This record gives sequence, C-alpha cells and structure tokens, in this order.
Amino acid sequence: MADIILLLYFGLMAILRKSWLVGLLTILQVAAFAYIHSTIPGEEGMQFMVDKLSVFMFLLINVISSIIAIYSIRYIDEEDCSVFRKKYFLSILFWFIAVMNLVVSSDNLEYFFLFFELTTLASFLFIGFRKDETSVKNAITALWMNQIGGLAILSAIFTISYNGFGEATFSNLLAHASAPGILLPLAFLCVAALIKGAQMPFSKWLLGAMVAPTPVSALLHSSTMVKIAPFIILRLSPALKDTPVASVIIGLTGFVFVTAAIAALSQDYFKRILAYSTISLLALMIMMGAVGTPISIMVALILIFFHGISKCMLFLNAGVLEKVFHLKHASDMDKIGDAGPFTSFIVIIGFMSLLLPPFGAFIGKWFSIETLGSFALQQKLLGAMVIVAIAGGGAILSLLYFKVLGILIARNGSRDTIKFEKINPFYSGTIYILLGLVLTSILSFPFLLANYFVPVASQTLGSIIEVRTEGWNLHIGTLSLSFVPLLIAFVLFPLTIIVAMFIQFKNVDRAKEYMCGEKIDYSFSSFYFTVDRAIPYFSVIGILFFVALIAVALL
Amino acid sequence: MNDLLIPVLLILLAPIIGGFIYGFERIIKARMQRRLGPPLLQPFFDFFKLADKRKMIVHSTHAFLGIMHFVSLWFALAILLLGGDLILVIFLHLLSTSLLILAGYSTRSIFSHLGANRTAISILCYEPVLILIAVSVFMITGSFDVASIFKYQEALLFKMPLAFIALLLVLPIKLKKSPFDVAEAHQELTGGVEIEFSGIFYEAIYTAKWIDYMFCYTLVYLFGANNPLLGIGLVFFVFFYINALDNSTARVNYKQMLRFSLLVALPIAFINLLLTILQSS
Repeated sequence: MADIILLLYFGLMAILRKSWLVGLLTILQVAAFAYIHSTIPGEEGMQFMVDKLSVFMFLLINVISSIIAIYSIRYIDEEDCSVFRKKYFLSILFWFIAVMNLVVSSDNLEYFFLFFELTTLASFLFIGFRKDETSVKNAITALWMNQIGGLAILSAIFTISYNGFGEATFSNLLAHASAPGILLPLAFLCVAALIKGAQMPFSKWLLGAMVAPTPVSALLHSSTMVKIAPFIILRLSPALKDTPVASVIIGLTGFVFVTAAIAALSQDYFKRILAYSTISLLALMIMMGAVGTPISIMVALILIFFHGISKCMLFLNAGVLEKVFHLKHASDMDKIGDAGPFTSFIVIIGFMSLLLPPFGAFIGKWFSIETLGSFALQQKLLGAMVIVAIAGGGAILSLLYFKVLGILIARNGSRDTIKFEKINPFYSGTIYILLGLVLTSILSFPFLLANYFVPVASQTLGSIIEVRTEGWNLHIGTLSLSFVPLLIAFVLFPLTIIVAMFIQFKNVDRAKEYMCGEKIDYSFSSFYFTVDRAIPYFSVIGILFFVALIAVALL
Repeated sequence: MNDLLIPVLLILLAPIIGGFIYGFERIIKARMQRRLGPPLLQPFFDFFKLADKRKMIVHSTHAFLGIMHFVSLWFALAILLLGGDLILVIFLHLLSTSLLILAGYSTRSIFSHLGANRTAISILCYEPVLILIAVSVFMITGSFDVASIFKYQEALLFKMPLAFIALLLVLPIKLKKSPFDVAEAHQELTGGVEIEFSGIFYEAIYTAKWIDYMFCYTLVYLFGANNPLLGIGLVFFVFFYINALDNSTARVNYKQMLRFSLLVALPIAFINLLLTILQSS
C-alpha cells in the first residue's frame, strides 16, 4: 500500500516539475509493481533479518546520524527560511534516519524496495530543500537516477519468481547461491547498489546533492545513504564471489576509483572535492565486497566504518567553513591557518584520517592491494588491471589530499603563535565528539579488528576467519600483520603533522621567503587537471560497464 | 642474530653510507665532465659547515616538517632493510615525501610552492610503478615481505627483467636526476622545496637525500638479493647509469615527465605484472 502512495507521489512530482523522465520511470515502476503483485501471491507478515552486518550498519548509521542531527539544529537556525521549513527539515532528517535503519534490516526484497525508494524520496526532498533553480533541477536528477535503481530491484524480484526460486528475500537468494539463473537477479540488485553508490555514469546525483544544506551532504555522503551500496554488495557477496557479475563490478569500480580521483583533482569547490573522493572510496568498498575473500570483506567493513566517521567530520567542517568563515573554495582557504586554527586543525585531522597509517583508508588501500594480489592469480588480466587502477588511483588520491592539506597548513611567517578561535558550541561540540570517536577507534584498532570487524566479516561470509597473535604478529586468515612498524608509523605521521602545527622553535631567527630580490604579489594556487572534456567519455565507459553487467548475467 | 646484525648496522650507518655515495657521485660526475671534482669527504665537510651557520627559519611548522621528513624517511628505510612489507615500505616512503611537500606548501614562497607541486607530480610518476613491481614480487615469491626475496632461490632480475627496466626508468624521477629533475630544477626553481631551509634545518633535507640514495639502491639490490655479488654489481651498474644519464641529458618539463612515466614506464611494469601472473599460475 505504502508503495503505491509513494509511487503516486513520484507521479505527482513528475507532473508538477514537468519531468518526463521521472514520469516514465514512475509508470514503469507502477506497471512492474502491479504485475508482480498480480502474479506473486502476497506473503504474510513482515520479514526482517538482523544479523551482525545489520547491527554493524545500525551502529554506524545511528551514531553518525545523531551527531549530524545535533549539528543541524544549529545549522538550520542560520538558514534563511521560515520556521516551518526549519521544522520540516529536521523532521525529514529524523524520518530519514528511521528509514535507513529499516533498509539495512529488511530481508524481503519488496520491503527493501519500499525503503530504498523512501531513501530516494528523502534525498529528493533534501536536495530540493533550498527551492532555488539548481536545487530543484538536481533534486529531479537524483530522483530519476535512483528510480532506475528502484526499477532494478523490481526486476530482481520479478526474475526471482520467474525463475522459480520462491520467495524474493535476501536469505532465499543466498540459499540458491549456485543455482543457474541466479545471476540475473543478483546483477539487478548490484545495479541498484551501484546507482545508490553513485558509480560513474550515475555520479551526477551525488555531486548535485552538494547544493543542499551541509548536514544533508554529510548525511547522504558519509555514513548513511551511499553506504547502502557496499551494504548490498556485502550482503550478496557469498553468492557473488567468483561469478562473471563480480568480475564486471570489480572492473567498473576499479575504473571509477581512478576516474573519480582524477575528477576530484580538477575541482576547486571544497564540497565537490569531498564528493568525488567519496565516490572514489565507495568504489573501493564495493570492489572489496565483490572480491569476497575474508580479508577483502574485512577491508570493506573497515573502510565503511572509518570513511563514515572521517567524511562526516569533514563535511561538518565544510559547513563551519561556509557559515562562519564564508569559504567555499579550496583555493580561498590559504589564510584559514591564520584565521581559524581550530577549524583548519580539524579539517587536517579529517584528511589525515582518510590518508595516514593509523586510519582506515591507509589500511584499506594497503590490504586491498595485498588481497588483489591473490585475486589476480585467478583473474589474470582483470586482476592486473585492477591492481594498476588501485595503484594509480591511490597515488592520485593521496596527491589530492596532500594538495588540500597543503593549502590548510599554509601560514604566514610573521605570526607563530596559535590561538584557537571560538565557534558555536553546537558546532564545536559535535566536532569534538567525532574527534573523540576517531581517536578512540585508532587507539583500539587492533582490538576492533579482532573483535569487531572479523566477527562481522565471518558471519557475512558464512565461514569462520581465524585470528591469532604470534609474538609481534597478528594473523588474520592468510594475512599477517607486524605490529611494531605499524605502531611506529601510527605515532610518526599524524603526530608529526599535529605537532608541526603547534611547535615553536625558540632562539631561532625568522627570515622572509626568498623571492630573487623581486617584490611580487603572492597568490596561492595549486595544480589542477582539467577533465571536463573527458567526463562524457567516462560516462560512456561507465554505461558500457552497466550494459556488460546485465549482459554477462543474461548469458 | 647474525641475520639482524647487518641490517641494523646498515640502518644505523645509513646517513654515513649515503654521504659516501653522494661524495663518490660528485667525483664520478666531475670525471665524466673532465673535472677533478671535490674530495670524497666533501659532503661531510659541507655538513659540518652548515651546522655552524646562524639559525634562520621562515616559521616553525616549515622547519619541523623538514626534520620529520628526514626521520620518517629513515624509518621507511629501516623497515625495508629489516625485511618488512614491501607495500608498507612504499607507502611510508610516499608519506615521508609528502611531509616534504607539505613543508613546501606551508610557506608563502613561490619557488618552494612550485617545487612542492612538482614533487607531488613526480610521486604520481613513480609510485604506481613501484607498487606494480611490488605486486610482481608477490606473484613470484608468494609474499609481500622483503625477507621472502632473500629466501627465494633465484634472482629476481632473471625472473622479471622488465620490472628492472621499469625501475631504471623511474629511478631518476625518484632521485631527482636529470632529465627528470623538475622538482629541484636549480636553474629555474633554485632548488624547489629546499630553498626555504637553511643552516641546521637544511641539514635534515640534505641528509634525507643521502638516505634516499640508500633507499633506492637497496631497491636495486633486491633484484639480485640471493646473490650478493650480482646485487652489488647491479647497484654499481645503476649508479653509473644514473650519473651518466644525469650528465648527458637536458631537463624535460613536468608534463613530459608525467607522460613518459604513464605511457612508457607504467605499461612496461604492467606487462611485467601480467607475465609474472601467467608464470605463477
């Protein structure tokens, strides 16, 4: 019933906003939905399944989203709109968090479809919140792109019953993991996942989401909405492993990992840089889920977890930069080190937590290269190409982060003292909570690895992963980790950058920078790659991958 | 115990050995140009002279990052020599270079800033190639640990000659030698990132370069690891190759460097990876 109301609302929006694309997709969805309901007998009772993976997602979604909720109380107060709209915004926010919890716990695909479409609706309302022209346009884009995902889920339900696998549930799908004809529904579900995860041809909706108020970007990007993509892939990974569908997904995500990183290098708008790097890292998570070995599943979980916290912190800070310092472009931020040491400090920690040794993305990148080494032994050419993609994309991403870090760490020679600025307690409080989260999760990383990530991974995979400590080495499955170099690296790099911001050398003379004796106005700039001409090609290649995904499953 | 003695000695003496390599390099380069060249110990004389200079910095962040660049590079070298994980070593090296880049960005100096930009580009040139070589090593030895290369019965050089060629192509980028010395480019950037360091603080950057020599030549040595004679021969060969190249070529610009590395060195490393995958399965 709820499905029908939802679809009617989409139809109404299509008429109101005069978007034939949304209208067409809604009609298709209604037709598919009606057909499914007429042919398949309706099941009785709700079908939810909560396993460790769901609990893992619950924890992440609720912790991060509640922090964002607290933050948005203040943020929306500064927004230029009526009191009703402010309350409306906060109520969608809480409703969205509830829907997210339901998405990750539903087992029945019909319910999953409903909640999936509800998150689509939420993103539509969120993105269009500011009601100006670009917001409305981007909201429509987000709507129709995600509707394709909804349609893909409906197709999955249809093919499951058509091929006679019985009930359309995740658990039923996994039970038939090796049956012939199972690939098609799997492929459809993966299409839905890839669209939600904003992979290449569909990356536009996530970038368009940048026009929305910042808590929305944080909410959509960091912890919740886009994480549906790796979640679906992880759910399906036991069935996906070693299938041609998985190979295509790995190829696609390898491609997206590099191209999104390159695209991020060409951006100057701060939130867009973050958006592209989200897409890039999502590609890595999805890839690791599709590879499906114990270690890679664990890597995917680590990435989901740390990326959630770090990106949330960065986005909330982007909001602070926007509201307090009126800065939106990375190239304008070269004085932030002097003007807002606290904010720049937090942004630096945020970027470091994506990049440097103790944190997730470093571990993620490192482990993923090592697992792909074994993957390449089975999938020769593809494996080698994906390794190139990871190696190249990883280098580009670190280039990107250091470019931005460089802008933030820049400061005048004349002033060496640092005094933290005061910002609103709603802002600083939430950021402190996130900072605490980041720090505790680093300090307890070996513990988290053995007692949190590994159990989740082993239940997801349906097999036990062995963890043992031998002397100074931690063995997880086939992977062995040496503590000592990691520990020193943990201490060395982040601490260096943090200390560098505060240290003051005594009894040392200060000198002006060398300018060849010339007097020049210094303006800060960095390198950019212009990829505007290449982006259509990226999209075409992305579409080809999607076609290949369905084609492979059909054969 | 004996296994550990040589690496530990090498780690502790790394700056001194690196200094000798640098001194020797200056002599070889001078002889190639029919000059006499400075004495072998000249780098160390410079070292002591620099320590005596008046201390001047632009600001503390900048100076501190320079020092930490040296420390973290030494640390990366230590992990390499102690037989750690190859991918980890490459990442640590990347991170230590990035501290130098951050130092370059942190001042408001044009030269230092341009140098940092170009150093960042040069990371993009050599890092993927090194990672591909590391994965090829995994394909052959079955482990990412450097120690496994020493245990492997055959020399890597004969198992993956293409990887060695790829390494030869990117080493000049890493060591900032002509034709790929865009990051330093004394004539146009007056040293790039180095320019704003002076006195005792420049010492860190100066010695870090020596450690970088050790790092690169250790990578070369790994190709003949099970046969010390072959390994040392390779090191000498690469040493002369790099200096001859440095003396005989003119600088390209950074775009050409990027193009060269992505279109020539990276494909060679890729083909090598494919061949090793086919070999091992």
